[in-house]
Amino acid sequence: MSPGTEVWQGTLALMVMRTLETMGPLHGYGIARRIEQTSGDRLIVNYGTLYPALLKLEQEGYIASSWGKSENNRRARFYRLTRAGRRQVAKEAGAWEEATAIVARFLGPRRDPT
Amino acid sequence: MRVLRAWLIRLAGTLRPSSRERELDEELESHLAMHVDDCVRRGMSPEEARREARLRLGGLAQTQESMRERSRLPALASLLADLRFAMRLLRRYPGFSAVAILTLALGIGANVSIFNLVDAVLWRPLPYPHPAELVLAGEGEASALGANTSYATWVDWRARSRSFQELALLRQWQPTLSGGSGAQADAALVAGGRVSANFFRMLQAAPALGRDFEPADDAPAASRVVILGHDLWRRRFAADPAIVGRPITLGGASFTVVGVLGADFEPTVSEAVLGARAELWAPLGYASDAPWACRTCRNVNAVGRLRPGTSREGAAAELAAITSALWKEHPQDYPDARIAVIPLADQLVGSARPVLLVLLGAVGFVWLIACANLTLLLLARATHREHEVAVRMALGAGRARLLRQLLCESCVLALLGAAAGLLPAWLLPRALAVFGPRILPRLADVHIGRDGLLFAFGLALATGVLTGLAPALRLTASDLPRALHDGARTATSSAGRRLRGLMVIAEVALCLTLLVGAGLMVRSLQRLLDVPPGFEPDRVLTMQVSLAGPRYDSDGAILRYHEEVLARLRALPGVEAAALTSQVPLGGNYDGSGLHPEGRLAANPENDPSAQRYSITPDYLHVMGIPLLRGRGLAASDVQGGPPVILINEAAAHIWQGEDPIGRRVKLGGMDGPWWTVVGVVGDVHHSKLDEPSPPQFYVPHGVRHWQWGADTQMIVTLRTAGPPLELAAAAARTVRSVDPAQAVSAVAALGDLVTATVAGRRLSLAMLAAFAALALLLSAIGIHGVTSYAVARRTRELGIRLALGARPAQLLAAILRDGMVQATAGIALGLAASFLLTRILHRLLYGISPTDPATFIAVALLLAAVALAACYIPARRVLRVQPTEALRTE
Repeated sequence: MSPGTEVWQGTLALMVMRTLETMGPLHGYGIARRIEQTSGDRLIVNYGTLYPALLKLEQEGYIASSWGKSENNRRARFYRLTRAGRRQVAKEAGAWEEATAIVARFLGPRRDPT
Repeated sequence: MRVLRAWLIRLAGTLRPSSRERELDEELESHLAMHVDDCVRRGMSPEEARREARLRLGGLAQTQESMRERSRLPALASLLADLRFAMRLLRRYPGFSAVAILTLALGIGANVSIFNLVDAVLWRPLPYPHPAELVLAGEGEASALGANTSYATWVDWRARSRSFQELALLRQWQPTLSGGSGAQADAALVAGGRVSANFFRMLQAAPALGRDFEPADDAPAASRVVILGHDLWRRRFAADPAIVGRPITLGGASFTVVGVLGADFEPTVSEAVLGARAELWAPLGYASDAPWACRTCRNVNAVGRLRPGTSREGAAAELAAITSALWKEHPQDYPDARIAVIPLADQLVGSARPVLLVLLGAVGFVWLIACANLTLLLLARATHREHEVAVRMALGAGRARLLRQLLCESCVLALLGAAAGLLPAWLLPRALAVFGPRILPRLADVHIGRDGLLFAFGLALATGVLTGLAPALRLTASDLPRALHDGARTATSSAGRRLRGLMVIAEVALCLTLLVGAGLMVRSLQRLLDVPPGFEPDRVLTMQVSLAGPRYDSDGAILRYHEEVLARLRALPGVEAAALTSQVPLGGNYDGSGLHPEGRLAANPENDPSAQRYSITPDYLHVMGIPLLRGRGLAASDVQGGPPVILINEAAAHIWQGEDPIGRRVKLGGMDGPWWTVVGVVGDVHHSKLDEPSPPQFYVPHGVRHWQWGADTQMIVTLRTAGPPLELAAAAARTVRSVDPAQAVSAVAALGDLVTATVAGRRLSLAMLAAFAALALLLSAIGIHGVTSYAVARRTRELGIRLALGARPAQLLAAILRDGMVQATAGIALGLAASFLLTRILHRLLYGISPTDPATFIAVALLLAAVALAACYIPARRVLRVQPTEALRTE
């Protein structure tokens, strides 16, 4: 992937949940930065779409939120993964791995039919 | 599940903004602050950092908006906003809203009421499994009385046919129930049914307590078992669960209760076939050699369940083939091989169907008129809103969005109207119940259920869209911004005027059609009530006296009892004369028998005329006021001594084709009885209906020893009274009971009321149709009034100019009236043409009058013209008060 690729819809939710699973509670800005860092700055998170996505996950009960203090002592809203969210990450990650494995078989090195 | 959870949270957020939503802005603020901190740390200037942060967020306002959308349901939110706006408008114009809602309440209420009725009576299936398989089978042609057959024929049908899963028999039964443990233990007549053992299996129903009938129960010696209906069990036996196996007394005999039906068992089958909701059931108990089981004894009804996949026509063809073979085997026992197989549901609904469908059509018209009126109201109001809508369009509101909001307003009106219209729909079945079940079958099933509510909701939405569309389209027409210029009003209103004119013409035409229908029904009822019944019903009291029990097992005992009853009644003050009869005209009983005239016998006695039989005491003709036309009446001496004699009516006298029937001899019933000599001819009596000609009738002396089937035990007392008959009712019933308290007295009624009751159904459908026609007339008058007053108001300026130029007010009044009456006349002409085509469907409901009766058409047209003129005149009068100077100043 070339640097600066935008995160496409659908995978953003999985990345958010995965980030919260590994990092523990984080605020929105922190989640976005973490995703960018994890991708080696090859992904750019559109902050404008991040917050509606967080709201959607919260409405679906996969994450929960509350106010807290940031590392710079600013008031910020912190998100954490719920138990349902943890189950969902496992499920979606499995499905994603399977999908990429299938695609990889198609895109892998060409082999002559034997 | 997760999606639903999110949807519910958003729904809640739409209805009431949550605290979470209020914090969204704060969260974005904190995000921006952190981002700025980061950028500054990386060496940007604070301005640059702020710019960068806002840019990466994709615009603060857009993000806020998309988060707000995510926390609510945007489509619902805008719908709610429209609804709130509509409600605010309704409150701002309370007069307009009240008129509109009332109009719709009447229009939609009438429709929901009749829909409920039709739904319950016509469309709801019979309350048995696979109801479409149930049919009534009988010999001859299907008639209003259903189709009868005989026990012997049924046995053969059952043995030879393959079309039926079960073919059962049903016969009327009305035993006297005495005793019981309930609060009311008086001897009382109970509606019941005698049935073949497979009857409940045929219905696919079973008793909730105890057992079903078994084939062994249905034998003459063993037939003393009974199954109780749920209501009777609760009423008379205090819902005693131990009743099964115990004896009860029916008609003086002991019957063992073997079962009790569940509360969910509806006796609709007996309502359909016997005309009464049976409350207890016993086996038929016929034997093939019993005199009442003969092939010509057509005293039972066959009800069957078709095999799956067998059509009604197939079953009818099979029964016809079997009957044809039976006719060959017993040529003297069948008049022909005709067969009727009728769906049981059709038999139940019977004559109610055309009435209900006509009423359904009538309320449809009322609805259309109400819609026309609401459209007129909305059009009138639309002109007041042209400015508002034009401003909103100029400010960029889309046409679709405005249309949606305007339609939302008319739908809100319609829904409020429908809600108010549920009240008449709730009241109607309660009002009808007062008239009793003779009016309509299944009246107990009529209530506002899910179907009725859905219908009301759907009709309201249809009303809202239909009425709101034309005004909304006009309001949002693309050239409307011109309305912003004040003077453009007259230019835009010509299309509106045409639309208003069409509405008036349509509602006048619809109204006229309804009025013609109601007028024809009124005239039919008048004609019907003018039909002389053949007797004098005033001042006659009737009551049924049923004898049962071992004390009355001989003709002598029965006659002694009846003589004693008559003697005591004659001694009662206020009684002028007293007599007994086996059946009373228009009282709902039917007793027919073959009449075989000597020397004129048909080759097959089944083709001889059949006649109604009255077994009477000598005073009967006097009590009833039936005229003796020739010969003599019956005397006490005819009962025990002397040869067998009868009286016949005029219709029966026609059998001798102009020759004097006195002294002629006939056989009654079968051919094995004695010859009866005609000694007198009396007037015809309408027995079942006023609108049917009288069939042949004959009168035999009650208890005469020549009558081969013994004296009747169920008789009707008729009393000619000095005063109003019902005043004597209690005393007369007491007097009868004083002879033997164990015998039931029932159906105490004034004969005049019985006559009226036969037209009650007609009167009721007339009353409903007339009510709808009156409603239509009222709505049309309101519509015409509204259009005229609107025209006057809009033309105030023009009228003022014309007045200033020297026109006389009377001229202006005439001009306005002419405009209104042109529309009304067009409507009347259209309505007359429509009525001419439509009233044909009424012909089955009319009596003695043509569906295109000119007098009715003319009278109705004049009435409507007069109402239209009044509705125009009242608002048009205002023209006379217009002051030219003021009128010119108003603009």
